[in-house]
Amino acid sequence: MSKKRKLMKVYPIEENCISCRYCEVACTMVHSESKDPVKAYKLENLLPRATVEVKGAVSLSLMCRHCKHPFCFDACISGAITVDENGKVNLDEEKCVGCWNCVLVCPFGAAHPMIREEKRHSFKCDLCEERGFPACVEACPNRALIYDIER
Amino acid sequence: MRYVIVGNSAAAVGCITGIRKVDPDGEIVVISYEDRCYSKPMIADVLIDIPEEKLLYRDSSFFEKNRVETVLGHKAVSINTESKVVALDSNELVPYDKLLIATGGKPFVPPISGSDKKGVFTFTELHSAVSFKNYIKENGAEEIVVIGSGFIGLEVAYFLREIGVKVKVVELLDRVLARALDRRASQIVENMLREKGVEFIFNDTVEEIMGDEKVSSVRLKSGSVLRADAVVVAIGVRPNTELAQTAGVEIGKGVSVSDTMETSVPDIFAAGDCIECTDIVDGQKKPIPLFPLAFEQGFVAGLNMAGKRMEYLGGLVLNSLKFLPVPVLNAGAVEPIDDSCEVLVNDKFEKKGYYRKAIVKDGKLIGFIAIGEIDRTGILTNLIRQKIDVSDVKERLVEPDFGLVDLPQWWREEKLKQDKTAYKDWRAV
Repeated sequence: MSKKRKLMKVYPIEENCISCRYCEVACTMVHSESKDPVKAYKLENLLPRATVEVKGAVSLSLMCRHCKHPFCFDACISGAITVDENGKVNLDEEKCVGCWNCVLVCPFGAAHPMIREEKRHSFKCDLCEERGFPACVEACPNRALIYDIER
Repeated sequence: MRYVIVGNSAAAVGCITGIRKVDPDGEIVVISYEDRCYSKPMIADVLIDIPEEKLLYRDSSFFEKNRVETVLGHKAVSINTESKVVALDSNELVPYDKLLIATGGKPFVPPISGSDKKGVFTFTELHSAVSFKNYIKENGAEEIVVIGSGFIGLEVAYFLREIGVKVKVVELLDRVLARALDRRASQIVENMLREKGVEFIFNDTVEEIMGDEKVSSVRLKSGSVLRADAVVVAIGVRPNTELAQTAGVEIGKGVSVSDTMETSVPDIFAAGDCIECTDIVDGQKKPIPLFPLAFEQGFVAGLNMAGKRMEYLGGLVLNSLKFLPVPVLNAGAVEPIDDSCEVLVNDKFEKKGYYRKAIVKDGKLIGFIAIGEIDRTGILTNLIRQKIDVSDVKERLVEPDFGLVDLPQWWREEKLKQDKTAYKDWRAV
């Protein structure tokens, strides 16, 4: 539909993935307060926004695809999910009320539930907007993740 | 081009979004008798004093940015299809070129004697939720009876416990959410609510609401009488077709629409809880009053209204019990729909805290339930939507780590490499 999109996204290349999960660790770390991989997992109870899947010889790392038609955006009851002019799908964790509709409709399983006592909300890949370059791509030792213009 | 939308919730916002994808310039007018665009599925949160701004689904900046004129606080009462105008209760006439009817649902209240007393509430609109909360405070209500154990009834019951009110839920059938979940899932949900202190009375119904001016008790069919300082009727929602009828559009179980969300009358479209839509799981036309579907239908209607032809993918049941401590999700069918269905179950609820069930028919997934472990279940929802053959990975469907590696390689090629994620790319294969 809209041809105005200019979006850089992270693309998994399953042929190159060796399921080392460096992407997961890097993702969790850069989204943490402590910026420390152990503390991020153990103390902050964070989870990665990239998911490494393995089945036999096949493996890949998967994160938000910033779909051209994002079903998560349709389903979001709080208005936490928005789409910017380039097609980047944003999820405002503060606004999110944890209804899990996005978890239920994302065809990639890229919107995840954070179920904690103090705050329940969904979370997903934000393309490391604050950082400027996706940490998972940087961490990947085998070019199984690349940062590229949308196809 | 002048677009008029009656209604101001998910379908309306979806429609505005759809129109603006195609037509940046046309005039858009939204008519609603309510005063703001709030999130209907969130109104029960009023009971636990959620800040009002949190309930806003789209604030004024959305309407400004999309150049939408809003006519709020006035009800659309009739449509004249010859002169193409919508008449408001203020007698104002609003002309349209293309019209969307998104009048939503209305709560079903069975004929119970005494249901007109003060203290009897339904729960589908913000103003009724707020009046209910105020009634509880003003009258010091301590014991409340909820009629019906559907999603709304259970959520109200749960939040009433949060604020320390005693709740009894009266349900005609023998378990909670009997039409939405299977027996096992109902049991899990019921236990969670019982732990919260909600009481249940099954296989019974309220025959009379008693009291003078205000409700004070209810009498059940079984004969017992329950104290009730207030009553919530949450039996279900029906399509609100009143406005549509004035236009003479075809109506089945809700407003009938084509694949492009057009009614039987030219230039009038409909979307959301007021319509009947085709359930992709069983092919039946029925109302499926759910927020995500309403938005999507509104979006498709908007594209078509603005001249971009797009067919709706079809509806399916999508439920989430967002208020429970343990998440409960389901999509599509939760029980076999005929003898050819295969049922897969992975019940580790007692030991590991999760329950998974999948229904497969003719090699295709047609529904699932996920309790406890819900991450990535959208992959399953899409398998239902795209009718992808899962014969080879059937047993994996109920495993919490089911993922894209379980899907055919061509699917990953198309979706991940070629970015085929536009609306039309999600049709059944």
